[in-house]
Amino acid sequence: MQSPAIEYDYTVAKWFSYLAILFGILGMGVGVLIAFQLAFPDLNYIFGQYSLFSRLRPIHTNTVAFGFTLSGIFATWYYVGQRVLKVSMKESKFLMTVGKLHFWLYFIGALLAVASLLVRYTTSKEYAQFEWPFDIVVVIVWVLWGISIFGLIGIRREKSLYISLWYYIATFLGVAMLYLFNNMEVPTYLITGMGDPLHSVSMYSGSNDALVQWWYGHNAVAFVFTVPIIAMIYYYLPKESGQPVYSYKLSLLSFWGLMFVYLWAGGHHLIYSTVPDWMQTMGSIFSIILILPSWGSALNMLLTMKGEWGQLKENPLIKFMVLASTFYMLSTLEGPIQSIKSVNALAHFTDWIPGHVHDGTLGWVGFMIIAALMHMAPRFYKREIYSKKLLEAQFWLQTTGIVLYFSSMWIAGITQGMMWRAVDQYGNLAYSFIDTVTVLHPYYTLRAIGGLFYLVGLFMWAYNFFKTMTASRAIEREPQFASPMAA
Amino acid sequence: MFGWLERNPFFFAVGVFIVIAFAGLIEIVPDFAQASRPVAGTKPYSLLRLAGRQVYIKDSCNACHSQLIRPFKSETDRYGNYSLSGEYAYDRPFLWGSKRTGPDLHRVGNYRTSDWHANHMWDPTSVVPGSIMPAYKHMFTNVADLETAYAEALTVKKVFNVPYDKDIDGDGKVDVPLGSFEQAKKQALAEALKIAKETKREDLVKMVESGKIPEIVALIAYLNGLK
Amino acid sequence: MEDIRFIQGVAYIIFTIFLTLILYGYIIHLYRSEKKGERDYEKYAKMALDDELDSPPVDKRDEKEREKKLKRSSE
Repeated sequence: MQSPAIEYDYTVAKWFSYLAILFGILGMGVGVLIAFQLAFPDLNYIFGQYSLFSRLRPIHTNTVAFGFTLSGIFATWYYVGQRVLKVSMKESKFLMTVGKLHFWLYFIGALLAVASLLVRYTTSKEYAQFEWPFDIVVVIVWVLWGISIFGLIGIRREKSLYISLWYYIATFLGVAMLYLFNNMEVPTYLITGMGDPLHSVSMYSGSNDALVQWWYGHNAVAFVFTVPIIAMIYYYLPKESGQPVYSYKLSLLSFWGLMFVYLWAGGHHLIYSTVPDWMQTMGSIFSIILILPSWGSALNMLLTMKGEWGQLKENPLIKFMVLASTFYMLSTLEGPIQSIKSVNALAHFTDWIPGHVHDGTLGWVGFMIIAALMHMAPRFYKREIYSKKLLEAQFWLQTTGIVLYFSSMWIAGITQGMMWRAVDQYGNLAYSFIDTVTVLHPYYTLRAIGGLFYLVGLFMWAYNFFKTMTASRAIEREPQFASPMAA
Repeated sequence: MFGWLERNPFFFAVGVFIVIAFAGLIEIVPDFAQASRPVAGTKPYSLLRLAGRQVYIKDSCNACHSQLIRPFKSETDRYGNYSLSGEYAYDRPFLWGSKRTGPDLHRVGNYRTSDWHANHMWDPTSVVPGSIMPAYKHMFTNVADLETAYAEALTVKKVFNVPYDKDIDGDGKVDVPLGSFEQAKKQALAEALKIAKETKREDLVKMVESGKIPEIVALIAYLNGLK
Repeated sequence: MEDIRFIQGVAYIIFTIFLTLILYGYIIHLYRSEKKGERDYEKYAKMALDDELDSPPVDKRDEKEREKKLKRSSE
């Protein structure tokens, strides 16, 4: 076969990796702060009005979803994309430029967008809070990524597309469609010539707006927190363990199943609301069906490790990824349970919902991105991972954090839901609202501590990554499978 | 047949797109016309209330408070009648929220007063012992942005035919006047003065009398209108 | 309004049945073509494992076509 003298180019992948670490610490740092605020309200005033809970919550969600996770997605794309297509970015100056432009525009846009939230520019729609000028930046960034994906595919050596690429392509298309439709808004300044130039008003009103928002909100979870993370695990787990995917056919089937079913499930956010009944029911039913393709992927990953469970003990990266799959199974079972109408009646509006979200994001998304970056680090710098012990410690600390987080939120949510509906012997409501708030104090405290554990783990990760980059022992050549690490 | 699809990224992408776009198309589009019809009695927001709504959004009140009463006895007992789709016809964006860290506010105007709100926003624990809500003192000094509120009202009037300056209920009177900015501002100041007096806070009354409406007054106007 | 509702319902059912059939067709196709020995899907899993620039592609792409695209993108 031909042997090109060139190598893979990891420049853009490295840059995005740094961003993932930076935004991870920022976003989750804010998350820990607001978690403590719920338990100790005085913490709301540490930076005056800029640290009020309501101001910081959108910053937390956006920084983690669109800062940390997207950076992780882009970093892994610029790595995995080249490798499974067997083409280097060095081969095309154009794609190299697009990649770098993509990075800088994304970085600057993200900083400005976060700053805008801090000074109260928000549309209020969850995970779509940015005002219209930032939406335009997002669209440009997204188009650049699309050029990078399809450009690289255009010059590939491998004719067939590996399953990971399917998921990256689906991420690109899905988010593009959802984001565009949900952010349709009319800038008021352009129509009237007065008022704040950044202000806009939604194209949709009332129930329609809610419908579009949760069609977006739920599926943004699909296409940011699920689909691209599956893309990662289909590459990194087989590669790190040296085991081919258990059943490639199953991975193809799960893909189409997921694509078809996921979009229908958004209605489960609106159960017992004013949107039409049939849509709420559809949301419930499809959420349950969604278990099938989700578990298809997750089981496929776990079965990939069949006969190789020894690696789970030896290799902390495998630990991270196997636990990620497990949390994926947990949250894809929990979600459908919550969307059953009678369960939803209890769980909706309570802390069980953020609890569910964090199983998925901390356990599945976070762990997968952590593992992916640590797998890439030795390849980026031709050095072994600085410390296996530190990685192990991080794993156990963060796992404990997640367990504290979701167990406390389960109890908090169900307690609150039950208290809201409890009646005394005469049929009057048994508790005033404030009773149902003060009772949550211990759970809020536990949750915040769980979050703090996870955040400390992130610092350990950042340190380990930095030391791998600068001070670890050099290796001769890129390792083929398991990442080398110093004790 | 299928092997072909997977080697042709363009057609593959088209296939994925059709599969994912389908749900949205069927689910969302056909219900648009029906769901956006206002129920009788629903009126557009006056300028002051719209400015208050913008304050509500700016400080993300919706991060902790819902505006959606579900059709359960435990909710109607606590918050009032369950919510109807048509009541939201002039809500752009919708503010249902997704988490009740605090109580629902869809009908808060029925059972809270202006001075309660003012005290509560200044120091929540003074009226609700044990509250974990922070104080929003900056709303007492920030001036509400009437120009942007007017720009929004005019935009929805022009673009979405929201019935400002119209007789909605057929009693021969204009229900929600908007007019020019000067007219609208004059009326907003009059409404604001009434609310400022109800709060029993001298500083707020003085501000309104000097022609500036504090954000808190606009916000209270909005909350009082939630019924 | 009722007309739109009706069309909505019918379109939904038809398209769902259609997609379900396609999905089943896909499953049958995958397993049958592998049984007959026409294609081997599992070999694609190697794309992740042997992913060096100089490892042999599973399905090699026509080099001329590639060169053409490469030229266009580096201009």
